[in-house]
Amino acid sequence: MAFHTERHVKYYLRCLKTFLPSLYTSNDSNRMLLAYLTLSGLDVLGVLHDKTTPTERQGYIEWIYHCQVPSGGFRGFSGTDFGREKLNRENAVWDPANVPATFFALVNLLVLGDDLSRVDRRACLQWLPKTQRADGSFGEVLGVDGRVEGGRDLRYCCCAAGTRYILRGRSGKGLEGVDDINVAQLISFIEACQTYDGGMAESPFREAHGGHTYCAIGSLTLLNRISSDLPPMPLLTPGTRQFEAMLAFLVSRQTAMISDEPEDEVLDEIPGTSLDEKIHTLPDITPEAGDAIPCAGFNGRCNKVADTCYSFWNEASLLMLDRLSLVDETRNRRYLLEKTQHIIGGFGKCAGEPPDLLHAYFGMVSLAFQGEPGLKRVDPSLGASESAARHLESLPWWQP
Amino acid sequence: MEEKDYSTDPEWADITPIPLDDGSNSGAAPLATIAYPPEYLELTSYLRAVMAANEMSERALKLTQDVISMNPAHYTVWIYRARILFALEKDLSEELEWLNQVSLKYLKNYQIWGHRQALMSSRTHFPELSAKEPDFLMEMLAQDAKNYHVWTYRHWLVRHYRLWDSPRELEDVEALIKADVRNNSAWNHRYMLRFGPRENEPDGGMVNAGKAQTTPAEKGVQSVVDEDVVDLELRYTQEQILRAPENRSPWWYARGVIHAANRKLGEWEGFVSQFVSADGNSVKSSHAVEWLADVYAETGGHNAKAADMLTLLKEKYDPIRKNYWDYRIRQLDVVSA
Repeated sequence: MAFHTERHVKYYLRCLKTFLPSLYTSNDSNRMLLAYLTLSGLDVLGVLHDKTTPTERQGYIEWIYHCQVPSGGFRGFSGTDFGREKLNRENAVWDPANVPATFFALVNLLVLGDDLSRVDRRACLQWLPKTQRADGSFGEVLGVDGRVEGGRDLRYCCCAAGTRYILRGRSGKGLEGVDDINVAQLISFIEACQTYDGGMAESPFREAHGGHTYCAIGSLTLLNRISSDLPPMPLLTPGTRQFEAMLAFLVSRQTAMISDEPEDEVLDEIPGTSLDEKIHTLPDITPEAGDAIPCAGFNGRCNKVADTCYSFWNEASLLMLDRLSLVDETRNRRYLLEKTQHIIGGFGKCAGEPPDLLHAYFGMVSLAFQGEPGLKRVDPSLGASESAARHLESLPWWQP
Repeated sequence: MEEKDYSTDPEWADITPIPLDDGSNSGAAPLATIAYPPEYLELTSYLRAVMAANEMSERALKLTQDVISMNPAHYTVWIYRARILFALEKDLSEELEWLNQVSLKYLKNYQIWGHRQALMSSRTHFPELSAKEPDFLMEMLAQDAKNYHVWTYRHWLVRHYRLWDSPRELEDVEALIKADVRNNSAWNHRYMLRFGPRENEPDGGMVNAGKAQTTPAEKGVQSVVDEDVVDLELRYTQEQILRAPENRSPWWYARGVIHAANRKLGEWEGFVSQFVSADGNSVKSSHAVEWLADVYAETGGHNAKAADMLTLLKEKYDPIRKNYWDYRIRQLDVVSA
């Protein structure tokens, strides 16, 4: 089956130019993320400029800036804004900048070709370290009395590292007197999130997870790219226990289990008394004939079924580690195109499910990583096209 | 949500709602526009008004409830609600009862668990753990035994109330593993109970990672090991492996235990060998094959035997990961060269 370019373009244009169904109301607070999935989706398809007018694109840019908070950073949606004239010291806490939304707002501006000149870089980078905890992790927003709210969670770490990357740049020009985040402590927190089976968890000692593994590698990669003075990171260094264990975790995520059908039964009545006797009576496993497994997607955790977005999280991680060639790209492509690509465009989460913006984007980008014709190359750590990443590097504070 | 018209309700007559400003009046073309139900637009316009007034009141509390019922992912409404609950000195047990119902309705929601943690953090209200809490968590896990948010919260609860050795905690984990031996979340929780750090370490809590002089390789290794606990865990894991030999969870759990105890994979060579016949034609678990490959590589000088094992995986038992097993075979050459 082929990648249905035209249907995907139509799907994204519908999401861009008409109202999302009311089902998305429970995602209202994530509109900046939904905007990213839409804009970047059209960009990766290579049609953002053909299918929108300069006036429309300028209007989108205005909306993103409309979500900028006066004290620095961006809201996740316009819904917390009660108007500048009503804003005061007491109520500002109810209209805070949001760590993930700030990263997505910046990426959106880059995708649209904006030069970020209206981003209050200093204010944003003064706010960002306040969202970091003593243990190195980042939260989602600042709450009452400057308390860091939101879980101790690698997703926030990744968005914070991304925001720092975009706004600090290679030279840090114009940021004199603005304190950086605590990079060493952030790295220490990330390293502590590696679990006994090699993957990374949301926080130390939680369960290894493909999405959080992406966030860990993404954060470290972005920190590394603009800081030449960091000590070597075992997680990014081939041959270390940490690197090889993480690799084993990532490749183990590829699975032929694509629906919730029951697995092999559990053997609770094994004859024999000793362990040795019991092992002896266990049946042999059957060799798996390669052609009997037509497709294999990726799951996020051990013993879960495949889910479209994990084709992205795991492959993007492997791409950053320069190890994408270790997965079975053919079976992943077949899984995405034959099982979760939807007839109306977009991708669903699992086989047979209706499309949604998140899975539409991440399914498509997984194919872009594998060189699907007609799709732009994507920078795995920024999660946006390489052309958007090059545009960033042309900005003043990226110049030597 | 009870259907209610805020604009005609006398209780709300003194409030001027603040409509959504999506920027359209200042030249913006809003992105990700949603076909909001009219009642959501009304609710949130009243929410903005009470937030702008920083109002701490019963009516605001009720309003947050209505907003949450339509958008439980709203990241400030929860913080606002927690603030009001504490300001009005509300009965937090009642709040938990309500929250239980919301949690059962929105299984995938993230904010609900942050709110629960904010409530339970109050030592004044919850000096000790009531059995109702693990009861409710088991009710949640009955809906989805691998729910990541629930396990994250349960992990926090263990640390907050110091429950590593609580009989209830281990009983629940064992019951869940008994019900589904492939429940990797339960295995992970077991590992945290047995081998997680018991103090709040400044580094985020990874064993042995707190001091700057600790090398990365030593992180995750216990400084003091109770050898009896390790032996019991390994024995338990072997029994669970027999229930489903292709189940990855206990195999990797055992690797974690062995690493934490600073022991070698070779300790299990006798056990693991019984899953693989000498000629490799009869295999009872592909994970045993991988384990043997690692043992052979670990002991040195046995790279050819390790390569045989990896070739079995590549050619017969795990064709999806063919490229990976090839990579592992190449790694053997690199190490021995």
